[in-house]
Amino acid sequence: MKLNKNIALVCGLFLVLVSCKPEQNHYVPTPYELPQPVYFPSRNNIPADNPMTEEGVALGRKLFYDVRLSGRDGTDGIRSCASCHHQENNFDFGGSAGLHHSVMPLVNLAWNHTGLGWNGGVATLEDMVFAAVTSPVEINADTNQVVKYLQKTDDYPELFEKAFGSREITFINIQRAIAQFVRSLVSADSKFDRYLRGEEQLTEDEMAGYELFCTEEGADCFHCHGGGGLALMTTNLFYNNGLDDEFKDPEDRSAVTGSHRDKGAYKAPTLRNIAVSAPYMHNGRFQTLDEVIDFYSEGVKNSENINPLMHHVMDGGVQLTDIEKAQLKAFLNTLTDETFLNNPNHSKP
Amino acid sequence: MAVSCKKPASYGELRVNICYSVNGKALITDSLCYCNEAGNEFLITEIQWFISKMELQDESDEWVAFEPRFFYIDTNIPESQTLGIDSIPVGKYKALRFVFGLDEDDNRTGLFTDPPESEMFWPDLLGGGYHYMKLNGKFLDAEGRLAPLAIHLGIGQNEDHSQFYQNYFTVELPIDFTITETSENQIDLTMIIDNWFRNPNLYDFNEYGSHIMQNQAAQQALKENGNDVFRIGKSTDNENNTTMENGNRFAEKFKNVMQKAAPKPHFWTWKSVKERMGSPVGTTENRQVV
Repeated sequence: MKLNKNIALVCGLFLVLVSCKPEQNHYVPTPYELPQPVYFPSRNNIPADNPMTEEGVALGRKLFYDVRLSGRDGTDGIRSCASCHHQENNFDFGGSAGLHHSVMPLVNLAWNHTGLGWNGGVATLEDMVFAAVTSPVEINADTNQVVKYLQKTDDYPELFEKAFGSREITFINIQRAIAQFVRSLVSADSKFDRYLRGEEQLTEDEMAGYELFCTEEGADCFHCHGGGGLALMTTNLFYNNGLDDEFKDPEDRSAVTGSHRDKGAYKAPTLRNIAVSAPYMHNGRFQTLDEVIDFYSEGVKNSENINPLMHHVMDGGVQLTDIEKAQLKAFLNTLTDETFLNNPNHSKP
Repeated sequence: MAVSCKKPASYGELRVNICYSVNGKALITDSLCYCNEAGNEFLITEIQWFISKMELQDESDEWVAFEPRFFYIDTNIPESQTLGIDSIPVGKYKALRFVFGLDEDDNRTGLFTDPPESEMFWPDLLGGGYHYMKLNGKFLDAEGRLAPLAIHLGIGQNEDHSQFYQNYFTVELPIDFTITETSENQIDLTMIIDNWFRNPNLYDFNEYGSHIMQNQAAQQALKENGNDVFRIGKSTDNENNTTMENGNRFAEKFKNVMQKAAPKPHFWTWKSVKERMGSPVGTTENRQVV
């Protein structure tokens, strides 16, 4: 009987101890499954210290569209990422943003390994968020002010807790969340994708355009902009494409590498959704795809720095006929991914 | 239970150091200092290429294959210039062979999904798979203009793309090499770039043009010349003075080839080229013909 009493005492004490234990942190985020489309690279750039989670992507999406990322009230130049990156324009601006360089699209960047921006000078998406938020010509915010501002809101502390396990907001977690959302922006359902998957046939003109795109004797686009064997539609590398023959831009690729070879070189942007990504080139020089095609056909300029892959430069370009230009444009239009451009998971929450 | 009395094989590692020479000198990229046998003056910006199915022949004439099966080599990526091969049975070997590029067993679109290898893709309309090699640079054309040069080897095709041609080839080089259990086993494998353009076919950039993916005659000429492009050893300064490490020696059969006099390269700057534009460049007086 005494033994039973002792057991009961011990059990009671255990229950008291358990009930007095501080509440456990129940931070258990749900892993986000990044799609892996046909022919896309198997190696992505998700950093080990910022794995994608459903909660992180959702938080990043909210921040991406929220002008409170400016860290201030009112209408005094408050901006969000979405102020310049419009979904219907391939998360590009879709016009002149008044910047020194045109806005680059945010698409399929989970597989980009060559830095961000036209010169590749920003190493990661996390860094890019910092750069964009603090840039005087972009969001123009003070990071401490942004953190304080968001900390006082009713909604964000809980969302940060779900995403990162703490109600205390930090700017690095703001960077991480937005980077996660941007990595989730995957475009892989254009007509050309369906052609690659054997689900849809290209028209005769589109097919002729694809042949021009993929042949050296045609428009010779594939070396820099991929194709069936490189479905990101870019190598993500840097080329001087003969746009100019004098180079004074202090922010070209040579600013990153220090190499004279890279004067006038810029990243080859993806051609996915290119039809809705005007204006074109690093400085937004061309307003339409027709102008771009005309440039590659007969407007390429030779220089010491032009990339050897621009081997039609001695003729001024690839010299397409009007019919070929129309065919090439027809193919480029097959790269428009309406599923992506209208995906409700990517829109303003 | 049977117990084998055979002594377990021991293994060593091999490092193959990739080297490049032009006119008997180590390659200098982006310098307009080279001249081929056809008299074309040229520079090289980068070389990106594949070696596959590398094997060593042992003393009993058996070919020993090993992993990895493919090597992507890129002058822009220093670490790609050393091919690391583990687990080679120790012993003496008398020949090295490999496929330049990728053969029809391997060369299929989708083999590589990640860069940099995936950036070598060869469009399906042109035969598919991957470039065997991209040798990019520039040359002074017949009018003295600095023109792009993109010597890209891969599957060839006829005019209407109804027939394709495999342009890879197998390179076999004699060696006298012993693999030991250390990790110090190294050999140098040199691509003698000027040999792409002279033996047996005189390869004139003005004749074949600055791009050749759809020019099977050019592909065939380079494929044939490729048989005399690779050497074991560093093959610089002059080809008699080839550096051999770990006791390797050139085979006697290559002595005559090695004894050709190496021409002296000369350097031009872009400014001097521009000054010469509009006037004949590369006359017989100022050309350094190999």
